[in-house]
Amino acid sequence: MTPKSPSRFMSGLAICATAAGVILIFDGTMHVLLAQTPFGGPRPTAEPQVGGIVGWLLARQSEFYREMSSAIRAAKSDGSAVWTLLAISFAYGIFHAAGPGHGKAVISSYLVANQETARRGIVLSFASALMQSLVAVVIVAICAWLLNASAKTMCGAEKAIEILSYALIAAFGARLVWTKGGGFMRALQAPRPALAMASAGHGHGHDHHHHHDHDPDQHVHDERGGHSHGPEPSELAGPGGWRRGFGAIFAVGMRPCSGAILVLVFALAQGLFWAGIAATFVMGLGTAITVATIAVVAVSAKDLARRLSAGTEGGGTLVMRGVEFGAAGLVLLFGVGLLFGYLAAERVTCL
Amino acid sequence: MNVARRLLGLVWLAGALALGTGTAQAHPHVWITATSELIYAPDGAITGVRHAWTFDDMFSTYALQGIETKTKGVYSREELSSLAQTNVESLKEFKFFTFAKADGKKEKFEEPVDYFLEYKDAALTLHFTLPLKTPLKSKELALEVFDPEFFIDFKFADKDPVRLVGAPAACQMKFQRPNDGSANAQKLGEQTFLSGENSNFGMMFANKITVECP
Repeated sequence: MTPKSPSRFMSGLAICATAAGVILIFDGTMHVLLAQTPFGGPRPTAEPQVGGIVGWLLARQSEFYREMSSAIRAAKSDGSAVWTLLAISFAYGIFHAAGPGHGKAVISSYLVANQETARRGIVLSFASALMQSLVAVVIVAICAWLLNASAKTMCGAEKAIEILSYALIAAFGARLVWTKGGGFMRALQAPRPALAMASAGHGHGHDHHHHHDHDPDQHVHDERGGHSHGPEPSELAGPGGWRRGFGAIFAVGMRPCSGAILVLVFALAQGLFWAGIAATFVMGLGTAITVATIAVVAVSAKDLARRLSAGTEGGGTLVMRGVEFGAAGLVLLFGVGLLFGYLAAERVTCL
Repeated sequence: MNVARRLLGLVWLAGALALGTGTAQAHPHVWITATSELIYAPDGAITGVRHAWTFDDMFSTYALQGIETKTKGVYSREELSSLAQTNVESLKEFKFFTFAKADGKKEKFEEPVDYFLEYKDAALTLHFTLPLKTPLKSKELALEVFDPEFFIDFKFADKDPVRLVGAPAACQMKFQRPNDGSANAQKLGEQTFLSGENSNFGMMFANKITVECP
């Protein structure tokens, strides 16, 4: 039997951590939102420089991108250069996806909001990357190959699809907020959550909580805590979850990557459209690996939070519903931000 | 329960969340090699900026998609005129990626003039002149060329990146390239990135031209 006070301490700690996490997310989001005006940032910036991982990623991906065009040119006369092209495309996909525009943030937030498992996160990441590749190929096949449309038309189509995608993400986020808000409210009203506990300090132990305390490493997907308080399991990942999951990848995946479109048009102009298509799908595979990795990190972080807050009197459920609600809010925020251009970095620029 | 382990976990959670938003920065899809000329009137006032922007071969090919030519692979200035028109019209939305300040005050540009495209060595070069709304005689003129959204990576040419045309002899020009990751990878660590110091992300890729005329 674990004494009550450390458990309460833990619950408080978990709440603080969640609050810190939410503040961090908002802080990060605000930076992106405010990084708008070319002159005079929101605050005086020190001599800005790109360094470390981000700078390195940018440098690598520029290199790969440049090499891609020469590999396509080389493939015209030397068939074996196609293998080089595919290798570069794969690497480019991996590095490239570390930037925005591949729905990492949206997919990760969705996974956290919707109680998804890491396995499902991987599947969804791959599905959305596959769809992105497919959309890019279809756009170029129809616009450039079939209709011989101009770059202006093609970019216009790309922009229209992009706006539709952002609107769908926003709508999807709104729906998540609606459902998760309900769960959060119910958790708030649920039998004596941690807030009351902390102030009143009267704790009646329930046997199954102690169970958690005994097995800190117990697998967390079994929703044991969830069964006893708060929302019903039917709200969690279930049969409807897949359908909703595909809603998420549709919203995210329908927006093609500008890089893929450029590569496809370039390959088409060199008379090697098929090589461009192959490169696009390999690039998508690389992208999927990066997105899936980040998604798994997000899901694991949430599982960890659940484990940390488990075994506290009802507070754990409240914390988790709060995290989910916050993540659902993020999906909505991303959608709205993208739609109205606050997240300017994720916009297609038509020249 | 192991407090240290929990704390460690929380740090990891916060880190993962920060990573999710922190690295979500832009990446370029178009590379431009630029040269710019600052044009001065005989009375010593700067009247405008003349740019020549060469696009990377992938984007050049993309831009040429669907353009009819008499000879395959050869594009005359006339055949490219409508594309040049599209380019300058589109660039307006982005303020031509050219931002001027005279003695600390923002200056505006007029619609571009003398614009045309040139196709050479599988690359398109867009030439255009941006006249200043009012010609200026300022002590200090700062000009920045960059894409705040970093969809386009502007790199000035290695040779003669910026020239002053007809400027008074006393004017001194300084050109500063952006401190990009490849050049300065070791200089600063991630903490600068995550602390929000660099919230004005695109600024990092600014090419700064300063002209001082005493």
